[in-house]
Amino acid sequence: MPDSASMPTDGERRQLVAVKGIRNGLLFSIAEDAAFAEVYSELQETLQGHGRKSEAKGAVSAYVDFGDRILSEEEDLAVRALFSGLRTLSLGGLDGAPERRGFRPREPYVYKGTVRSGQIVEHDGDIVIIGDVNPGGQLIASGDVYVMGYLRGSAHAGAGGDDRAIIAATYFDPLQVRIASVLRRSPGASTSPAEMEFAYLDGEQMAVDRMSVLGQYRARLHATRAVL
Amino acid sequence: MGEAIVITSGKGGVGKTTSSANIGTALAMLGKKVCMMDTDIGLRNLDVVMGLENRIIFDVIDVATGSCRLEQALIKDKRFDHLYLLPAAQTKDKLALSVDAARLIVGRLKSQFDYVIIDCPAGIEHGFRVAITGADQAVVVTTPEQAAVRDADRVIGLLEAERMPSPKLIINRIRPHMVKNGDMLDIDDIVNILSLDLLGVVPDDENVIRAANHGEPTVMTPDSKASLAYRNIARRILGDPVPLMNLDEDAGFFKRMRKLIGLR
Ligand SMILES: Nc1ncnc2c1ncn2[C@@H]1O[C@H](COP(=O)(O)OP(=O)(O)OP(=O)(O)O)[C@@H](O)[C@H]1O
Ligand SMILES: [Mg+2]
Repeated sequence: MPDSASMPTDGERRQLVAVKGIRNGLLFSIAEDAAFAEVYSELQETLQGHGRKSEAKGAVSAYVDFGDRILSEEEDLAVRALFSGLRTLSLGGLDGAPERRGFRPREPYVYKGTVRSGQIVEHDGDIVIIGDVNPGGQLIASGDVYVMGYLRGSAHAGAGGDDRAIIAATYFDPLQVRIASVLRRSPGASTSPAEMEFAYLDGEQMAVDRMSVLGQYRARLHATRAVL
Repeated sequence: MGEAIVITSGKGGVGKTTSSANIGTALAMLGKKVCMMDTDIGLRNLDVVMGLENRIIFDVIDVATGSCRLEQALIKDKRFDHLYLLPAAQTKDKLALSVDAARLIVGRLKSQFDYVIIDCPAGIEHGFRVAITGADQAVVVTTPEQAAVRDADRVIGLLEAERMPSPKLIINRIRPHMVKNGDMLDIDDIVNILSLDLLGVVPDDENVIRAANHGEPTVMTPDSKASLAYRNIARRILGDPVPLMNLDEDAGFFKRMRKLIGLR
């Protein structure tokens, strides 16, 4: 099968379901502006044709893209049922093509001001705070956390599981820090408040060190990854 | 057009009503036309602290529902030329005063007075929303305790989200000897965490309690420390750069000044 192939279903009718080969399976794109019943029966037809064509039993993943259409619970179940009876396809998801993990550029989020008690700054990527994070304030980043000021509240870096993430602050005095799933309470006020510090994971343990060591830490990470 | 200032704190019992009464009275003593508005529906206190409880006939809910005219509900404090109180209702549900009604009332008061001082209830729910809705400025009151500072921080965040100008800070019930012994947060710590401009520091002073029980705000008796502190606060509200008083916090104040000009 070529990398990208669409299969028109009927010459007369407008095509409501388009099938396309993607890197990790097949993508079924569904017209957004047609009634669900119509879309459903066309999907059913398309899938029947597909089942006959390919004899090989195996798990080709199917992803369905409904665009902006929001499915009701019944509609969602009905679509899943269509796929569950198929030998050759297994349903990968109903919200479009899977994202390529690791390739998405993660823009840092820069926040200027005080993060106060009860406020949460959450971002998929790195977070940079130009200001203080007060007790009761909370940062949640899938990447690193950098606070250009006092970190007195709580910070979670690598919230998606990245254990190489770090938490850095000019004045490192947090109530709670968490990297990936490792949590630490009040690691204690910094001993040398004039120097920026960061927390990182050393195996299962969390460690805090001077910012000037960050380069060495990163180099070490690189070395271990190269060995693996 | 006058200015409406809400006195708020988050945490209860830190001195919002005391501050409202004293600031309102001090501004009136300085010749301003002042109306104090109590928004603590169901738990009104401002009338008691002012000694005006027995003069209440109508209240703010009566105004909001149209049961009386605004002028009928205003109580004139006869000790001063231009000091009035719009009392809260004591028996009604706090949801009876809507945010919209409160904004209208504050707007009308601003057209008649130089200053409208709004006493906010504790908490961050409906009553807080009602109290801040018509305000042009906010004053946040805290005591030198972790919990009060935490709640003040929360309230400041909420006020900032409303796009109000940065609130001003009053630190109430400071006890200089406890600060000196390290048993109480010092002014510098509090100002650093909250990063607000300090409007004033009020010492813990039993005259405040005595005065409240006599229905005479402290500022009416000139010889107490709290009285001087509140009169200075009123002067700072009018734009007069009065330095902080003799307590040990002067050093802290200067550090704050340095921070303001970026020298920390
Ligand atoms: N500087 C002070 N020195 C001594 N006592 C004080 C001082 N300030 C306030 N108090 C006392 O603390 C108590 C609480 O004060 P107040 O009623 O003003 O607080 P509040 O913030 O309005 O409380 P609430 O949240 O219940 O409305 C009162 O008994 C008051 O007299
Ligand atoms: Mg009160």
